[in-house]
Amino acid sequence: MTAWVSANLPPLMFAALTLFLLSGVPVAFGLAACGLTFAFIGIELGLLSPALLQALPLRLFGIMGNETLLAIPFFTFMGLLLEKSGLAEDLLETVGQVFGPLRGGLALAVVLVGALLAATTGVVAASVISMGLISLPVMLRYGYHKRLAAGVIAAAGSLAQVVPPSLVLIVMADQLGRSVGDMYTAALVPAGMLIGLQVLLVVVLAVLAPRWLPALPPEARAEREASGASGLRSLALLALVSALASWSFVSYYPSWLQRIGRSSAPPPDEMAMVALGAAVGAAFLLSVVDRLLRLNLLSNLARRVAFVLIPPLILIFLVLGTIFLGVATPTEGGAMGAVGALVLALSRRRIDHRQIAHTLLATVKLSTFVMFILIGSTVFSLTFQGIGGQVWVEHLFNHLPGGPTGFLVFVTVGVFLLGFFLDFFEIAFILLPLLAPVAEKLGIDLIWFGVLIGINLQTSFLTPPFGFALFYLRSVAPAKEYTDSVTGRVIGAIKTGDIYWGVMPFIAIQVIVMSLVLAYPQILLHDKTGAAKMDAQTVNRMLQQLPTGQSDSAQDPMKLLLEQLKDEKPPR
Amino acid sequence: MVWPILAAVLVSAGNALSRKLFDLSSNAFLELQWYLFSAAFLSAAGYVLLVNEHVRIDAVSQRFKPRVRAWLDVVVLAIFVLPLTGVIGALGFHLFEQAWTSGEGSSNAGGLLRWPVYACVPFGMACLGLQALSETIRRLAWLAGRAPHPTLAESALPPFMPGPSRPPR
Repeated sequence: MTAWVSANLPPLMFAALTLFLLSGVPVAFGLAACGLTFAFIGIELGLLSPALLQALPLRLFGIMGNETLLAIPFFTFMGLLLEKSGLAEDLLETVGQVFGPLRGGLALAVVLVGALLAATTGVVAASVISMGLISLPVMLRYGYHKRLAAGVIAAAGSLAQVVPPSLVLIVMADQLGRSVGDMYTAALVPAGMLIGLQVLLVVVLAVLAPRWLPALPPEARAEREASGASGLRSLALLALVSALASWSFVSYYPSWLQRIGRSSAPPPDEMAMVALGAAVGAAFLLSVVDRLLRLNLLSNLARRVAFVLIPPLILIFLVLGTIFLGVATPTEGGAMGAVGALVLALSRRRIDHRQIAHTLLATVKLSTFVMFILIGSTVFSLTFQGIGGQVWVEHLFNHLPGGPTGFLVFVTVGVFLLGFFLDFFEIAFILLPLLAPVAEKLGIDLIWFGVLIGINLQTSFLTPPFGFALFYLRSVAPAKEYTDSVTGRVIGAIKTGDIYWGVMPFIAIQVIVMSLVLAYPQILLHDKTGAAKMDAQTVNRMLQQLPTGQSDSAQDPMKLLLEQLKDEKPPR
Repeated sequence: MVWPILAAVLVSAGNALSRKLFDLSSNAFLELQWYLFSAAFLSAAGYVLLVNEHVRIDAVSQRFKPRVRAWLDVVVLAIFVLPLTGVIGALGFHLFEQAWTSGEGSSNAGGLLRWPVYACVPFGMACLGLQALSETIRRLAWLAGRAPHPTLAESALPPFMPGPSRPPR
């Protein structure tokens, strides 16, 4: 009996962990309890040294002193502040006005604002709650299909977990021992594909099933000219002029860099940042000049768009810009973004010191449970590795057919299924430490592995019944039928089932992108122009016009990677 | 418990800016960030247990009867969490004592003294241990039929910051 237990300790420990976790006790404590139990069994059986537990405080200090993990409270704090700052509201209303007159326009606005918010912060709650409160009632009022409206909001909101700067990618990078910056760069293309496919889905539906996503009726378009014109032409003109300004700036940028003494050509993600900044700066300048000189060349709508895009783009620059330009580490980028969001919310008088304290409390609670899961998982893995668990896990995967590919397919499917029941911190902190060494041994690029699992974990925010995005949407969607205040029509409740069915096509999109990343890993490190999709179409246009000198370095992924490594590490 | 986070945000952003703008940076700032965060999350562990926000996987367990779930909590809290907080707390206190008497500093140039952050560990473990004891007693009292059901929501506590503003979502 004792011999059998000794020989089979790792599988027994894993089974015990499953029981502990399923019993519904707090995950952090279940992990620690399992680790402790088996530490004693191991010591009794003579497999482990009694001094094992003395390693615990040092492990704990290792977690406390981990700079990457500091990004968790910073980005959480930033996301919660943004939710209060009213930024999402302004964006949704303005972008809704721009696209509203189109069929499917409101849904399109939700996807684009979701993408924009995703590039600003790394947490899902802020965007889903704001969109559920603002866009959902408008969509229902003008006859959107309930399931479609709910699905598009949850899906666009979950983008925050895959578009850099996302918490999922930070945690992936930490657990896999890779740089967060590399993880961000690699995730740009799949994130762009997700956004692109969501846009495509909305467009296709608008063509095939126009009754599900009607255009806003003329009386619902608030921003109009005195003459009754919509002002869209003026907006298009403004966009064109800013695009031209940005293009000329970007084509001059590399030579200017050389003059101030930087030898390497700027990588594409830096170019995208610069192009974006130049375009917005130009649009903003034009609107300010127009307003100050009372030229009235711009329509109300055009001016409003220019002004409303400024705060989120400044935040994107503060966070992503500083990270990609190598000014700040991702953690510091999160801190800068949090300060930016704090200044924004304070300057709009949306929060007072009490609400700051409440926001901090929510931040502390989330960070605490995350850090304690990590501490619990350390107690677990200390014992698990001590009794040779890692060897058992590797042995387990040796029996899998198909080598690295078989492993990746198995892990992808497994994590996808687990994502229905577990949330991402649990998967990242419990399973990833077991899988990462196996992946490394099989010669799998860990950045690719991380992005693949990252998209998978983002999907877990969408999969019923435990997806977080669904919870947040449920908490703000109308649970009873109500009479709309504008049209006076009775609007039916959104049932939980409506939300579940609504996200199905979007989960399909997730699966498509995951399969593509799995089948064609070269899209991650290679064609960086996909980065353009991460933002408004302005950038898209910019990048198509990028000077061709870029393509030389883009063709050689290794060279590109090395250049980035050189530029990305801020001096310490 | 919450303000160290704000301080850490400001220190981190300030350090990044001053490094870029004035070429002025110190390991002290980098270390101060994680000292502050550690102080925040360790001292909050007991509170998070009190408001029952340490996440649980309740896919299966939500079908259990409340009495079964209370017993499971008692078992895990009393048999595992209490001793574990004791062990980590005692080992942490030992490290703190050593650092206090030796005046141990960081191995990085310009780093900070180590004992304040070592002290956070026994303090946090003491808070968590005491709260685990309290939760155990409250569950046992309910199981014995002598007290109301113990699961406490944050809304049942006295307000965190009394005043007119509405609590966050």
